[in-house]
Amino acid sequence: MGPALVAEGIGYDYDGTLAVDDVSFDLARGEVLGFLGPNGAGKSTTIKLLTGQLEPRSGRISVLGMDMPRQRGEIQARIGVCFEEKNVYPSLTGRENLAFFARLFGLHDVDLDELLARVGLEERGRDRVNRYSKGMRQRLMVARTLLNEPDVLFLDEPTDGLDPVSARTIRQLIRAEADRGAAVLLTTHDMYEADQLSDRVAFIDRGKVLALDPPEELKLAHGTRSVRVRVRTGEQIEEHVLPLDGDGGAAELQALVEAGNVLTIHTEEATLEDVFVAFAGRGLT
Amino acid sequence: MSVARTATLLVKDLRLGPRSPLVLWALIIPVLITLLIRGVFGGLFDIQPRLGIVDQGASEVAAAALALDSIEVTLLDDPAALRDQVEADDLDAGLILPPGFDEAVRAGERPDLELFVGGESFASTRILVVVTTLDLIRGVEGRSPPVDVEVVTVGEEPIPFDLRMLPLIVTMAVALAGVMIPAASLIEEKEAGTILALLVTPTRVGEVLAAKGLLGVILATTAGTITLAINRVLAYSPAVLLVSVFLGAIMMAQVGLLLGSWARDTNTMFAAWKGGGLVLFYPVVFFVWPDLPTWPARFGPTYYFLSPVHEATLAAATLADVWLDLLIAGAICVALLPATVVVGRRMEGRVRRRRAVETLQDELDEAPQEQPVA
Repeated sequence: MGPALVAEGIGYDYDGTLAVDDVSFDLARGEVLGFLGPNGAGKSTTIKLLTGQLEPRSGRISVLGMDMPRQRGEIQARIGVCFEEKNVYPSLTGRENLAFFARLFGLHDVDLDELLARVGLEERGRDRVNRYSKGMRQRLMVARTLLNEPDVLFLDEPTDGLDPVSARTIRQLIRAEADRGAAVLLTTHDMYEADQLSDRVAFIDRGKVLALDPPEELKLAHGTRSVRVRVRTGEQIEEHVLPLDGDGGAAELQALVEAGNVLTIHTEEATLEDVFVAFAGRGLT
Repeated sequence: MSVARTATLLVKDLRLGPRSPLVLWALIIPVLITLLIRGVFGGLFDIQPRLGIVDQGASEVAAAALALDSIEVTLLDDPAALRDQVEADDLDAGLILPPGFDEAVRAGERPDLELFVGGESFASTRILVVVTTLDLIRGVEGRSPPVDVEVVTVGEEPIPFDLRMLPLIVTMAVALAGVMIPAASLIEEKEAGTILALLVTPTRVGEVLAAKGLLGVILATTAGTITLAINRVLAYSPAVLLVSVFLGAIMMAQVGLLLGSWARDTNTMFAAWKGGGLVLFYPVVFFVWPDLPTWPARFGPTYYFLSPVHEATLAAATLADVWLDLLIAGAICVALLPATVVVGRRMEGRVRRRRAVETLQDELDEAPQEQPVA
């Protein structure tokens, strides 16, 4: 079975302003691919191209073996898209929203109560959405994305601005969907989310993919390991950050320990943000 | 295009309808205007002489007067009260029939008859009341009138005011529901971004437009039919009236789709409605003031469903009488179809692109700045 999604050299510009520049990658079934980049990096535009909302100026997109945008209708029946903006019908109840979209997919036997329970809205399904909080609307949108048990999930900043409980619920759902076999493309500018959820992370900035690898490999290959040591010197407390890679760090650490004044020692790994800064020359936020 | 998906979209819009102030407004306004016109202007333009009678001797004149359709007759007991009501202009005239009046007339006597006439009543009303009274007395006397009167109408009979106003009310009903509801519904989907959520499902933009158009046709036909019913004209020529309203509803719904596809937001829609609405409403002027030359009205598309409505209510016109206007109305509907499809498709591209640009612009505004690499 081939990859769920293949993008080859796709590009897009808004009246001459390049938003996506020669982006290529693939996504396997059951894999979570995190698109990590700052605001305006081109993550959302890439999702719009992959889901048929925009047509690429160049390159080729294949989703589930079908050509996008030529077979857009067939593809859209098998994918789920969660938007960054909360585009649900505020005058309908949560349940009515889901029932409506289920019928658009031609589905009449979806267990809406079960779906609402999965996103923690079982008690509020019969309330109108205009009474929902931002987090509840986001969870409803995720539930909507799952209606057709999609083979490929596109999630654009699914936890942006959410409270920790709502964010954790959504992350658990994303992982569960990948375990079910769905391919998940996730955009985020939250390095912890990308680190926790993603099997692979793509750094995207100024429309280009700068790196694409599992998060651990990115951190190992491009980050710097170090030890933070706090030492008492007379009345003062000093802090030393010693690199574990390269010369000198180990010897200096040994000297500090032997001096007998060490208060604390912490190892420090590189974060994805550190690696991103190394690639892009700017941070994620 | 899927009929099932179109039906699903339509049912959703119909379900949202009663929760939308605009839908209620579009359905209620024509009813209110009808009631206003009938309540405020109805009496002014539909005058019937008001005659009060105090019958002190069970006169046949009183019984015959009560049977008249053209005069509103009120029976009173007290001559003083009758005089007071005439003075207060609650009655145009007051007649006191004394005891034994009929017998005296039949005996060839010339009994006195008191007839009060209100100072504020119209001269025409006074003449009508006097002539009618004399005619009724002749009936009691058993004599035929000395002459036969042949009534010759000179000049055109004026069209009743409520019938002149009917095209305006029908246009309001059909246009408000037919244009505003599909347009506002489409713009609401664009503003809320829900149209993008629809278009990443198997739903196509043509299905969205078809559902909104059907919504407009259903509500405009309903509003138009209710308006005709409460104006009590539906029975005049039901086939012509229903076909006209239905064609008008289709035409207006297409205008609504064009407006909704074109307008970027609700403010733009209302601005366009204020200006463009004149094109839809100006033919109404020629029905309200029928003395104006009617040829300019024929440049307005609404003329071709309003004219059959006017003819049906005025002269009980049949489909055979108004087929040409209805055919032109149908042709306008057909001609608008490709324009609606083209503008709808362009809207799809514009909405997607505009949303994407706005998102990107917002993100760029919040993007972090370049920083030195450590």
